[in-house]
Amino acid sequence: MNSKQPNFCGRTRREFLWQAGGGFTGLALAGLLGDDGFLKEQTVRADGLTPWKSPLLPKDPHFAPKAKNVIFLFMYGGPSHIDTFDYKPNMKGMDNKRVEVKTFGRGGRKNEGRIVEPRWDFKQYGECGKWVSDLFPNLGTCVDDIAFLHSMTADSPIHGSAMLMMNSGKISSGSPSVGSWVNYGLGTVNQDLPGFVLMLDPRGGPISGPKNWSSGYMPADYQATVLRSKGTPILDLAPPAGVSDAVQRQLLDALRAYNEEHLEPRAGNTNLSARIASYELAYRMQASAPEAVDLSQESEKTLKSYGIDDPEHPKASDFGRQCLLARRMVERGVRFVQIYSGGNHDDANWDAHGDLKHNHDMHAAETDKPLKGLIEDLKQRGMLDETLIVWGGEFGRQPTAEYDTGTGRDHNAYGFTMWLAGGGIKGGVSVGTTDELGSKAVDDRFHVKRLHATILHQMGMDPNRLTYFFNGLDEKLVGVEGAEPIREIL
Amino acid sequence: MDANAPTESLLLAAINYGDLEMPPTGKLPQAKIDVLTKWVTMGLPWTPGEVPQDTPSAKKLEPPVDDTAREFWSFRARMRPEVPTPENLGWVQNPIDAFVLSRLETASLAPAPPAAKHELLRRAYYDLTGLPPTPAQVQAFLQDERTEAFEEVVDQLLESPHYGEKWARHWLDIVRYAETNSYERDSAKPNIWRYRDYVIRSLNEDKPFDVFTREQLAGDELDEVTNESIIATGYFRLGTWQDEPVDGLQELYEDLDDMTRTTGEVFLGLTVGCARCHNHKLDPFPQRDYYRLLAFFSGIDRNTFTERPIASVAESQSQQKEIAAHQVKVEALKKLLEAVEKRVYDDFKDVEKEEFQHEQHKIAIVKKRVPKILSEAEFQRYVTLKEKEKELKKFQPTALRKALAVREIGRNARETFVLVRGNAHVRDEKVEPGFPEVLGFPDPTIQTLPEGINSSGRRRVLAEWITDPKNPLPARVMANRIWQHHFGRGIVRSPNNFGFHGIAPTHPELLDWLASELIDGEWKLKRMHKMIMLSNAYQMSSRANPQGLAEDPENNLWWRFEMRRLSAEELRDTIFAVNGSLNPKMYGRPIYPEIPAEVKQGQSRPGAGWGNSSPEERARRSIYIHIKRGLIVPMMAAFDVADADASCPVRFVTTQPTQALGMLNSAFVQRQAKVFAEFVSKQAAEDDTARVRLALLRACQRTPTASEIERGVEMLRVLRDDLGLAADQALEHYCLLVLNLNEMIYLD
Repeated sequence: MNSKQPNFCGRTRREFLWQAGGGFTGLALAGLLGDDGFLKEQTVRADGLTPWKSPLLPKDPHFAPKAKNVIFLFMYGGPSHIDTFDYKPNMKGMDNKRVEVKTFGRGGRKNEGRIVEPRWDFKQYGECGKWVSDLFPNLGTCVDDIAFLHSMTADSPIHGSAMLMMNSGKISSGSPSVGSWVNYGLGTVNQDLPGFVLMLDPRGGPISGPKNWSSGYMPADYQATVLRSKGTPILDLAPPAGVSDAVQRQLLDALRAYNEEHLEPRAGNTNLSARIASYELAYRMQASAPEAVDLSQESEKTLKSYGIDDPEHPKASDFGRQCLLARRMVERGVRFVQIYSGGNHDDANWDAHGDLKHNHDMHAAETDKPLKGLIEDLKQRGMLDETLIVWGGEFGRQPTAEYDTGTGRDHNAYGFTMWLAGGGIKGGVSVGTTDELGSKAVDDRFHVKRLHATILHQMGMDPNRLTYFFNGLDEKLVGVEGAEPIREIL
Repeated sequence: MDANAPTESLLLAAINYGDLEMPPTGKLPQAKIDVLTKWVTMGLPWTPGEVPQDTPSAKKLEPPVDDTAREFWSFRARMRPEVPTPENLGWVQNPIDAFVLSRLETASLAPAPPAAKHELLRRAYYDLTGLPPTPAQVQAFLQDERTEAFEEVVDQLLESPHYGEKWARHWLDIVRYAETNSYERDSAKPNIWRYRDYVIRSLNEDKPFDVFTREQLAGDELDEVTNESIIATGYFRLGTWQDEPVDGLQELYEDLDDMTRTTGEVFLGLTVGCARCHNHKLDPFPQRDYYRLLAFFSGIDRNTFTERPIASVAESQSQQKEIAAHQVKVEALKKLLEAVEKRVYDDFKDVEKEEFQHEQHKIAIVKKRVPKILSEAEFQRYVTLKEKEKELKKFQPTALRKALAVREIGRNARETFVLVRGNAHVRDEKVEPGFPEVLGFPDPTIQTLPEGINSSGRRRVLAEWITDPKNPLPARVMANRIWQHHFGRGIVRSPNNFGFHGIAPTHPELLDWLASELIDGEWKLKRMHKMIMLSNAYQMSSRANPQGLAEDPENNLWWRFEMRRLSAEELRDTIFAVNGSLNPKMYGRPIYPEIPAEVKQGQSRPGAGWGNSSPEERARRSIYIHIKRGLIVPMMAAFDVADADASCPVRFVTTQPTQALGMLNSAFVQRQAKVFAEFVSKQAAEDDTARVRLALLRACQRTPTASEIERGVEMLRVLRDDLGLAADQALEHYCLLVLNLNEMIYLD
């Protein structure tokens, strides 16, 4: 029963347990998992001798990690790569010219279209001389810390499925998100805070909503906790107004007394003791979470560096506050932080179908200064090396116009740009190219899976070995075929 | 490869990431590409003797369909095993005990003593109805010392309409029941709740499981097609559904895959879905088996919104006038709306024209034309008309009743091919509907259905095969599920996987005996429940003893009963039951519990698709909650409801601090604690002792001890005297505590 069975893709007894009921009452996981160092911290004994341990306790990675935390800056809606970081000087003067080009977006498949030339000028920045558009004059100064991936590809140019792909590796609904995989693989080092934290744009969530941060077929331990930058940071964190700490403590102490009395004749049931412990954890979280989001502890200078309440960057406060919170979260050991720039529909996010200029000017003004603030702040504090920053949307945009008039661009999953910084990523490099119009990736195409593989790899996990047994299959974030990290930027 | 133009070979194109990308894991380093390029330009020289054979390890991994496979415990014919004779015959109430005890005796383990009466009563109530007994029911049972007292309780509970509500939930988990489609719009599936009601009714009627199976798989193809059997085929409309597919053909096969996979797991306990892209790596199912099974569904139309009328002729005729009158109103309103929309339409930008196709954008887009084209008054009139339109849509006479049901593309199904690596665009051999080879059934002949039934008849053949008593799997699979939901886990702990690498049964003979009983008892479930619950095995205490813990810590041999936590639904329902506000109304359209604004904020259109329900409606049982794939009620999500995107045979039982936060601080639980306190104040004397006693009694269904009461009384005193709370506030806090007790949330 306890022996490892011959198996496919390294499937072990452990995965059976997860499939058959990861939370099954009193199942002696310890004996079954003893030979499996990777998950040993998750074991729970039915003998009552081993104290309860959270499934989120830190676990050993596969190998020495470069990064300890991830901050994923999700530019929802799909920023246009040729208007931001994928410099196409030859498109100057081509405005309104009709060209043959294959595109596929929400408007369907087309074979030709009217060029909308990039609407912003580009300048060179840093020692690497990277060309960056005028949308990002602040972020431009950080290019020597950034690796640009210009040849990203995804399987869908439709928001709903593309969002799921960027977050969970699949265009279908029901799989765990990257943050869930990271927490499943590594746990978290601060038990008083969630291991996977998500911050939304004030205008609303992204298309596909909570499916984007769900733990899919994994248990709920691994799903994201939504953190708000104003008010009570976590749902149900605070007792109702007027309930003092003393009152709450009275309740918790009496509850504990009842529960311990109930446990006594049932000694050995670790679920009961776990539930007792969970109330103490919740109580501690009530103190630690507000502290973690308390920006009054930050200096004026720091706030300003993120563009918070800075008259020079009037639109940057919200995203700036979230970026600063992200730093405070990773400082406190939160494994995976995701922030959405853009929410809701239409121009409330980067989905520039109508007026490209209006849309991207707005979203860049909201994010440019905070992005620089975050990178520099992490660097100053010596945290950039162990914090992997990922920037990008679910796809890019087409070189041609969506409609007969106007500058709106439709979606483009054939080629787009994302960038990474920190966490052992090479700075000042650009890899992969799109064609001369940026309509599709040509050299060194990187599928979304490669990005996911890179994130897991930097966190010390082998993307092809991090598996979860579900419905008869060893599921992986990177899919059954597997994927290699993008070594060119490591 | 063209020998005249080697550099244009497909191989080189693929490794250079031309239109194809090989290997898919990432492009090879340039050095390796150079070597391969050189090899190709050299004309692919090779030495026959050095050609590696197909890697034996890969071949070995695919189990062949051979005698070993056919003799596997779940694939071989089921026979009624002999009931063993254990030594301690006094413990044996029925054959179930004989099977359990003989294993325990072999291991020299003693079964736990019987559970305390109140524990057993609670166990029985929750197992059959998902609700606690009332204090009066507890009292009556404790005082009834007749031996048949428990049997009578079981009989009553099996007759309770709450039985169907509880057991339907188990079924809905495995068929991945949800009421929306997921993806961007996450649209509601119209009338799908009728399927939920169908399941509840079927269980309450004790409909034989074979009938229940045939109705769901082929209710539209049976000899006798009824409204009920049409509703049952909603089974095929429960999954996620992409309304905006990137690749239409591939998406069709995603849907067919979802149906094949789910049907395989639910009825056969087979993870056939794994053989979609290649031969099954773990089980003896060649890829062909998967496509032959899929072929039974090849006639199904992908259009998820095909609703079928289910009204009787009499109904339709009697309401004709009413319907015609309504239609006139609809037409008139449509004209008025169109008149306004026509005036503004030409002013729309292209994006707006696109957005205007979707109902939810219309008012906002029209509003932008005020005052340019429309006056404020005209716009207000437009809004009023739109509201009226909404009202008219609510007109639902019984004659127009519809059900979301299966529909086929015609009398001929699509041809089915093995698809290379599951790619819908790359066909291999053509296949006909057939059963997994390892089970040894002859290929079926598909009978053409009578004229007038616009369907291939394939699903009916599948349903008949699944319910054929000779089929070794379905009875085993269902008997195991029944056992699972009484004992907390199955005899086979991977209830959806009876394959080679599922978890072997702990008591294979018992499983086969139960399966035989199920079939011989005409596939009726209630008889099985009763038999199981009257066994001593079911009535054991959950308390551990050192010997058992040392020798069988996992309780594989069932030397004690397993404690379990209430499910999310049971917990929410219990809160209402305990505080006296449960609304027992059954059936019908789903209800919408309150969801905090900050949770809705995660949607791209905050609040979209979430309706409103009155407080009374919100106090109905959780099975009636609208299941929206993209927005799950927080308390349900926190307590591990099934993720409805795939079949869920066993729920997780997690313990997280966020559960504690919700149970202490959420507006929902706070409000219910208040209701509880009001109830207790009214029902008990104005005296702390009486109130504490009543609160504990209702939550734990037993008489509390003196020290437990004293603890509560002391807490109330401290809250009032030391911390200055008003009496009613103090009681609310105490009631909140009671709702958080482990004893309420865990069953012995």
